[in-house]
Amino acid sequence: MTLFKQIALMLSLFLLIILTTVLILNFQSANKGVKERLYDDAKNTATSLSLSLGSANGDLSMMSTMINANFDSGNYRNITLVDVDNNTLYERKMESETIDIPEWFFHIINIKAPIASANVSAGWSQVGILNVQSNTDYAYKQLYAILIDLLISFGIIAIVGLMIINFLIHAILKPLKEVQKQAAAVIRNEFIIQRNIPYTKEFKDVVLGMNNMVAKVKAMFDKGNEELKAHKELEYIDKDTQLKNRKYLIDRLPQYLKVDANSKGGVYIIVALNGMKEANEKLGHQDVDNLFIEIADIFRNGSRVFKNCIVARMNGTEFSLLLPECSNEDAIELATNIYNKATDNIKEYGLNTDETNISLGLYEYSHMNTISQLFSRADNALAQAKFNNNKIHLERAEDTPEVMGKEAWKLIINRAIDKNRFHFISWPVVDNKTKQLVHSVLSINLFLDKNTSYSYAQFMAPAIQAGLSSKIYQNIVHTLFKTPDMVLSASTYSLRLPLEYLEEEGTYHDISELLRANAATLPFKLIIELPDRLVHQDSMYVREYEKLFQKYNIDIGIFEFIGESDDYQYLQDLRPAYIKGESSYFLTQSNQSLSALRLITDSIGISLIAVGVMDMETLGELKKRGINLVQGRVTEISEV
Amino acid sequence: MSNLRVLLLLSLFLINIACADKPYVDKLLLNKITDKYKIFAKKRFFFLQQTLDSVKNKSDLEKLKAVNTFFNEVRYSSDMRIYKKKDYWATPWEFLGKDAGDCEDYVISKYFALKYLGVDYKKLFFTYVRSSKFKEPHMVLTYFKTPRSEPLILDNNNRRIFPASKRKDLTPIYNFNGDLLNKIGNNKQKSHKKWDELKQNIQRKKI
Repeated sequence: MTLFKQIALMLSLFLLIILTTVLILNFQSANKGVKERLYDDAKNTATSLSLSLGSANGDLSMMSTMINANFDSGNYRNITLVDVDNNTLYERKMESETIDIPEWFFHIINIKAPIASANVSAGWSQVGILNVQSNTDYAYKQLYAILIDLLISFGIIAIVGLMIINFLIHAILKPLKEVQKQAAAVIRNEFIIQRNIPYTKEFKDVVLGMNNMVAKVKAMFDKGNEELKAHKELEYIDKDTQLKNRKYLIDRLPQYLKVDANSKGGVYIIVALNGMKEANEKLGHQDVDNLFIEIADIFRNGSRVFKNCIVARMNGTEFSLLLPECSNEDAIELATNIYNKATDNIKEYGLNTDETNISLGLYEYSHMNTISQLFSRADNALAQAKFNNNKIHLERAEDTPEVMGKEAWKLIINRAIDKNRFHFISWPVVDNKTKQLVHSVLSINLFLDKNTSYSYAQFMAPAIQAGLSSKIYQNIVHTLFKTPDMVLSASTYSLRLPLEYLEEEGTYHDISELLRANAATLPFKLIIELPDRLVHQDSMYVREYEKLFQKYNIDIGIFEFIGESDDYQYLQDLRPAYIKGESSYFLTQSNQSLSALRLITDSIGISLIAVGVMDMETLGELKKRGINLVQGRVTEISEV
Repeated sequence: MSNLRVLLLLSLFLINIACADKPYVDKLLLNKITDKYKIFAKKRFFFLQQTLDSVKNKSDLEKLKAVNTFFNEVRYSSDMRIYKKKDYWATPWEFLGKDAGDCEDYVISKYFALKYLGVDYKKLFFTYVRSSKFKEPHMVLTYFKTPRSEPLILDNNNRRIFPASKRKDLTPIYNFNGDLLNKIGNNKQKSHKKWDELKQNIQRKKI
């Protein structure tokens, strides 16, 4: 129960008790007044009637008539005349009469009318005593009317009083609401500094304390952000040429070499500058460095047309260009261009091109290659190129025998979409420290029939080729929300949504409709994982999705994080539950940049999760670096 | 043995004190009256006590005569002169203290003195009468030996006690006995406005 409710309840109760007490006292006083009035009326009648009876000189018939006249004209229950020996001479009694008040009131009040007496004489002699008792009907009616009046007026006072109490408590506790808002924001890792300092001392201290704390955490976050940005420069950039370095390439390659990569492949080029030792001897370091910068510009300009390409300096004399969606012909043309321009440059510096030259090894890579395959095949091509006249050699991809043709896959996938043949499977993310499940990651299998099923790795590549991946995701998102019982066994599940699906027209509307209808009844907590590449651009629709998920209490996770952003403010704005990065990423980071990242994530409560942890050795390495949440095959083989 | 005799004598003495009659006006009140109305007032109360004591064991008639004679010695004076009120029922202490009063004050003092002497209060009535001699409202104390017998009239104008039939100058209007009405009614506090006030003043020992 909130403080507001408790205070309101207490004050209301207090008010009602006071009002009820005053009402009862008021009514009792009215009751007493009415009873006194009954006696006074009876007394007045007794005295005046006894005087009149005196004039009858003891004639009973005369006296009876007088009593009758009085009884009939007034409001009496009983008039009795007794003689000096206490024998009744004459008596009039009212027959019972129904009156217009509720039975319960009659029973509760129970008025006993007092009897008033007066001496009656005739001349000098005593006649007896006259007893008069008033009728209580009128008293009941009057008291009932008083009670109703009191109830109405006290009811109005109570309502007005309660309204005033409500208003006052609202006014007094208003600063508390602000404090509560700030506290809730702190829980959500938002940094709100409250500018309106409340007047009430207790609230003021709390607000100042929280402001102080929030300011410190914010400063911590900003420091981490600055440090990480500074380290990024050192970690990923080659100082001489301002190109990316080998480390960057290796950290980024997993995004290109995966089953559900955006691009199916392209050409990877390794460029080697030969005879640099001789060049150094002839020109000196300064000029050779300038040569390198010029040649780096050739790479940069030449590859600009390829979306998502990576140009990196691998070591002192080797460069590489990763060109997704690049055809062999385009690659050869680019390589020739580079060769010619670089040769011109070398000549311009007065160097002998027989000694100092460049060679280019081209490899037609596929997204199914591993990093080591990519490097070794490209090295092969380079070795070959050095012997070629034009110093260029293209190594084509092996024609991997396809199990099924493209059309056959398309048919199977379309059928699976129509008949809902995608089934959820999950694997765990565990905390290596506590040995407990953190959440489960959802993936899908395609079950064609009892005997035939395909894993995500098998069907996703052909699906992407056939342009069906968004359709598959649409299908499984519907399944997840409409029949969530299918996956129910853990309490938290995460689901990766790829860029293509999120960007597709209609997806936002579709997901928001699904959430509106089903989010409240979802039997587990859902985390939607978005790629870092999408999130750190802070685009319009990321913010739209963020608002949508926040509205339905769905957390956001980030995957494929390699910390290549220029500013980590987006982490504070988005406040993801966790960041997932390749285990190799966490292991190759310098201590400084990792601690800067931790400063950021700890200050806003983001967990770091290493994915693709394959063996115990990696697990141990990660533990040394403070990364305890892991995902990958190791969760199956270890006791985790 | 002698000890026992002393103890016996002592206890007899104590019993005697306890049984001694209470005075009409107790000592404390008498001192206050003396303070207020001076020594002559104290003497008047002393003579009253003497008068009452003298008829203590006599018949009702003797008591009536003694009381009537004693109080009829008090001077008549209007309420307006004494109390600056049109009509005021004085307590017996005010009446004898001031040594003045009007007809109701005589009736009240006589009534309470007779009650003190053990006359049954049911036989005594305050009677409103019309005096044909003075042509004005008047009050006398009436004594009924039995409820149906002819009453005796104790009047301050005519100082002797006469049966009602001998007082042709008085026309009876209304008989009233506050104690009796208090006893009958179930409202002990209220029976007659003037009587109620008087009783309150007596309780407060108003002097």
